[in-house]
Amino acid sequence: MKKVALMYLLLPFQVVPDDLNTNLTATQQELYQGIIQEVRCLVCQNQSIAESNAELAKDLREEIFQQVEQGRNEAQVKSYLQERYGDFVLYEPSFKQSTYFLWLSPILILILILGWLRKIGVF
Amino acid sequence: MKRLLPIAIFLGLFILLARSLFVPQMDLPSPLIGKQIPSFSLNELGKSSTVTHQDLLGDIALINIWATWCVGCEIEHDFLVELSLDQDLDIPIIGINWKDRDDLATRWLIQKGNPYSKILSDPIGNTAIDFGVYGAPETFLIDDQGIIHYKHIGPMDRQNFEQDILPRIVALRK
Repeated sequence: MKKVALMYLLLPFQVVPDDLNTNLTATQQELYQGIIQEVRCLVCQNQSIAESNAELAKDLREEIFQQVEQGRNEAQVKSYLQERYGDFVLYEPSFKQSTYFLWLSPILILILILGWLRKIGVF
Repeated sequence: MKRLLPIAIFLGLFILLARSLFVPQMDLPSPLIGKQIPSFSLNELGKSSTVTHQDLLGDIALINIWATWCVGCEIEHDFLVELSLDQDLDIPIIGINWKDRDDLATRWLIQKGNPYSKILSDPIGNTAIDFGVYGAPETFLIDDQGIIHYKHIGPMDRQNFEQDILPRIVALRK
């Protein structure tokens, strides 16, 4: 019973298995699985294409699979997608002018908080 | 002044975040605007002849991605037919039939009318990925050199055509 409950709890974290990813090397498998979890499904924007069953997600998985099979690396596959679908397709936005604030704001806030803590005499 | 600082920070953040709530961002900007259409070689619908990206050059044209399984395409279709009959506008509409069956697509065009000057069939969807398509219907405006000038996502109608696309066609023709 407990096991079944646990299984259901883990259900949201499952990765849709692709029966096609058989003839990749172990490293390629890992690369493929890694990429598809970082690519946003544009039809269902809160899922990665690894989780989504949308037609477009399947097509993109297939495309990424083939590219990995051909020996392309993570950066190449990601820029392939970015050129076609824009920054939004990647969950992790790239570090560039329009995203400086996004990436650096946590550090900025941390500095502000440290300054404030110092001022009220915590240390 | 000191007391106002946290309030100022709060207000600043509030405005920043609230703004993104009310700016509609349903349409994702396409990184392909200003670039050449992707290269492809596809079969013409129901024929054995192939068409490549180079065959589309020479005219300012609309490229419309559609499918018979797509509800938005059904809504849009009458307007496409209307556009294709507009002699003053006189703009070729190139259809890319996306992840569809040729027989279904052919029947749809016989029943509803055919607004397309050329129809290419992309049953696997590779070309659609190169166009950055994520949901049909999508329409691209290209110039005679094959440069993409605008992408419309969702069904076109008289209103959004006249507002977003027509002015761009007019500007391109000048």
